[in-house]
Amino acid sequence: MAADLKFAKTHEWVRPEADGVLTVGVSSYAVEALTDLVFMQLPAVGRKVKAGESFGEIESVKAVSDLYAPVSGEIVEVNAALPGKLETLGKDPYGEGWVVRIKADNPAEMDGLLDRAAYDSLVGSQPH
Amino acid sequence: MTRSSAASPTDGLTLNTLTIWWDAAADGPTNMAADEWLAAEAERRGSLLLRFYGWTETTISLGGFQKIDEARQMDAIRGVPLVRRPSGGGAIVHGSDLTYAAAVPKSHPWGASPQVFYDALHGAMVETLAEHGIRAWPHPADARSRHDESLFFCFDRRATGDLVMAGPASGTVSKIMGSAQRRLAGVVLQHGSLLLRGNTAVAGSARHPAVSDIVVGQSVPEETALSRAWGARIAHGLGVAVREEEAPFVRGCDLEREAFSSRFRDDRWTARR
Repeated sequence: MAADLKFAKTHEWVRPEADGVLTVGVSSYAVEALTDLVFMQLPAVGRKVKAGESFGEIESVKAVSDLYAPVSGEIVEVNAALPGKLETLGKDPYGEGWVVRIKADNPAEMDGLLDRAAYDSLVGSQPH
Repeated sequence: MTRSSAASPTDGLTLNTLTIWWDAAADGPTNMAADEWLAAEAERRGSLLLRFYGWTETTISLGGFQKIDEARQMDAIRGVPLVRRPSGGGAIVHGSDLTYAAAVPKSHPWGASPQVFYDALHGAMVETLAEHGIRAWPHPADARSRHDESLFFCFDRRATGDLVMAGPASGTVSKIMGSAQRRLAGVVLQHGSLLLRGNTAVAGSARHPAVSDIVVGQSVPEETALSRAWGARIAHGLGVAVREEEAPFVRGCDLEREAFSSRFRDDRWTARR
C-alpha cells in the first residue's frame, strides 16, 4: 500500500495526483469484509459532492454499502470499467481498482483524513 | 435522513439493552421508512434495536439493486404491491412471514462485518426454533453456493448463514430464513424474513415452502411468542437485558411519517433499476 494515501473512517482511500486531482478508492480491509461483490453503482461525471455524502453504492452478497466522498468537490472521472470487473477491487484495490477522481473544492479537507498508521489502528481495533 | 437528536427519556437505559419495538401493520413504504428511522435511532443510542412488524396487505419487497422490470413481468406476483428495500438480496413476499429489522452501530461488535450480524441473529433463531422441536441450521460456508443474482426470490438463493430445514419432500432442503443489510456510515440495518406460514395470496414460483409446510402434523409457534423468545435469545448472546418499547414511527405523527415514507413511494426509488 502506498504511503501517500489518506483514509476516511468510512474506508475510502484518497491519493493526490500530480495534476491536483484526488483519486479515490475502497480500502482492502473494506473489500475483504464485504466479500463476494455483485454490483456497483457509480456517480455521473460532473456531479458535485460534499465530504461525507454518499456518491455510489456497492452490493455484496446481501449487503448494500454506500461509498462516501472523503472530500468535497466535483467528480471529474469514474472508473467505468469497474462495475464489469468487480474482482479488480479485491485484486488491486489501490491501483486498477480506483473508483472516482475528485477535483477538491478545498484541498485542506485532506488534513482531516487518517494517515496509514491511524487507519491501520482504526481497522485493527475493529472486531472481526 | 435527518431527525431530531433531542435527548430521550430512555437515554442511559439503552447501552446495555436490546430494545424491541413492536409495530403495527403498515404498507411497504411506511415499513421501509420505519426501518430507516430504527437505524438512525440505533446509531443515536449506540445500541442494538430490533423491530417486529406486519404488512397491511401482501407486498413484495425488492432488493436494493433488483431490476423492476423483472418484477413487473412476473405472472406469479402480478398485481401485488412492490416496495424497494434499502438493503440488498432478493425479492421477498411479505404478509405471512415473520418480518424483522435490526440495527446496530458499526462500533458494536456485531456491526463490523456483514457475516457476524447474520450469524448472531440466525444462530439465535436456530436455538429458538429448537425449543419448539423444529430443527433448522445455517447454510454452511463450504456448501455449494446457490447464490445467483439471476434468481429473483430471496428464498431461491442460498448464502452462507441462511437458515434451512429438511423438507418438505424427502431428500429436499428448503431455505426458511434470510436476511440482508444496508451498511451506512455509522450503522448497519439488517432486514430479515422467516417463512413461518405459507402465503396463500401468491402461487407458483412466488410460493416457497414455509415452516408450516415442513413440520406437518406438528404445531407451528405463534409469531409473537416466537419473536419474543428470539429476542430473549439474542439478548442472552449479548449478555444484555431486553427492553420492550412501543414503536414510535408507524403509530406516530401522520405528517412526520408521510415525510419519511415519501421516498419509498416515489417511482424514482422503486424503479431506480
